Amino acid sequence: MTRDFPRALELGGAGAFARLFARNDAARAKIGWLASADLSAAHLTGLSAPAFACDEEFLAIADQSLDLVVAPLSLHAVNDLPGALIQIRRALKPDGLFLGAMLGGASLTELRQCLLAAEVELTGGAGARVAPFADAMDLSGLLQRAGFALPVADIDRHAVTYAQPMKLLSDLRAMGETSAPAERPPRALTRAVLFKAMELYQSRFANADGRARATFEILYAVGWAPADSQPKPLRPGSAQTRLADALNATERSAGEKAGPGTSAREKD
Amino acid sequence: MTENSDAQGADADPANGARTEPDPKLLEILACPVTKGPLEYDRDAQELISKSARLAFPIRDGMPIMLPEEARELRDDEL
Repeated sequence: MTRDFPRALELGGAGAFARLFARNDAARAKIGWLASADLSAAHLTGLSAPAFACDEEFLAIADQSLDLVVAPLSLHAVNDLPGALIQIRRALKPDGLFLGAMLGGASLTELRQCLLAAEVELTGGAGARVAPFADAMDLSGLLQRAGFALPVADIDRHAVTYAQPMKLLSDLRAMGETSAPAERPPRALTRAVLFKAMELYQSRFANADGRARATFEILYAVGWAPADSQPKPLRPGSAQTRLADALNATERSAGEKAGPGTSAREKD
Repeated sequence: MTENSDAQGADADPANGARTEPDPKLLEILACPVTKGPLEYDRDAQELISKSARLAFPIRDGMPIMLPEEARELRDDEL
C-alpha cells in the first residue's frame, strides 16, 4: 500500500517512535510531520520532534486533524480504552490510520498467579497486583465500536526467561510498568508476600534449564477512520450480473419469489 | 549533549538561539482536552487558553502541557 501521512502523532510512546523516525529515511519519506504526546512530559524532554504532555483519555487534538496515530505499547495503561479509541478515531481525518500495540491477554499470567497464591497463603486475602489486560477478541470489538473501518486485531506471544524471577520485577520497574492498577489494594505488598511469590514463581514456572519464564502478549490494532473511498460491501440486491450467467448454469427457483410490484425501488 | 541547565540564566542560549516556542503545526492541531474546543495561544504568558473549559494550559520550554490537572482555572475577567 502506498500512502503518505502528512501529519502523524505518536501517542504514549515516550518519544521512542520519534527517535526511530528521525533516523529512518523510509519513514521520513512517508510521514511529513510527526509530534509526540505522552502522559509524562519528562519522557519527552530533549526530543527534537514537537511534543506535548497529554492523557490518552483526554486527547487534546482537534477533530479530523491527523493522518496517522501510532500508539506503541501504551494503551494497556489506559483505564477507559473504548473512550480513548473513540477520541483517536475522531482526531483522524477520513481515511486516517490508527496503529496501536499494547500488552494484553495472558501477559504476566505467571506473576499474577504467584502473587495471588502467595498473598492468599500468607495473609488469607489478596488484591489485584497485576492490572487486567484486554484480549484480542475484546480489542477487535472495541475498534469496531469506536467507529473504525476495516479493523484488524492480532496477537504476538513472547516468552522471556529470567535466571531470577526477581529480575522480572526490576525489568517491569524499568519499563515504568509497576503498580499499574488504578485502584491499588488497601494493603501494601509486604516483603514476605513478595519473596513467597518469587519462590512459587521459580518452582511453578521454571523451564528445564531452571530459568523462570514470563509471558508477554502484544496485541496489535489497526483501524481506519471511515471514508467514502474505502471498500464497502454492496447493498443487497444491487448486483448487475446474474450469478447463474457467470457460472453458466440454469437458475432454479427455491420456491420463494417476491411478487411483481413489491420492490420498493422501481426505476425507469 | 543537551546540558543547558546551567545557572547562567535567562535567554542567552547559544545552542538554540531563540527561546523555545511551540511548533506552529502543533498549535494548529491541538484542541482543549476537556471540550475539544479551540485554544488561543497567549505568547506572553506561554499559555494555551480554552475559554470553553475555562482553563489555561501551561507551555513549558515549548512543550504544551495539555493535562487538565496541570491547568490554571481562568478568572471571570479573563473570559
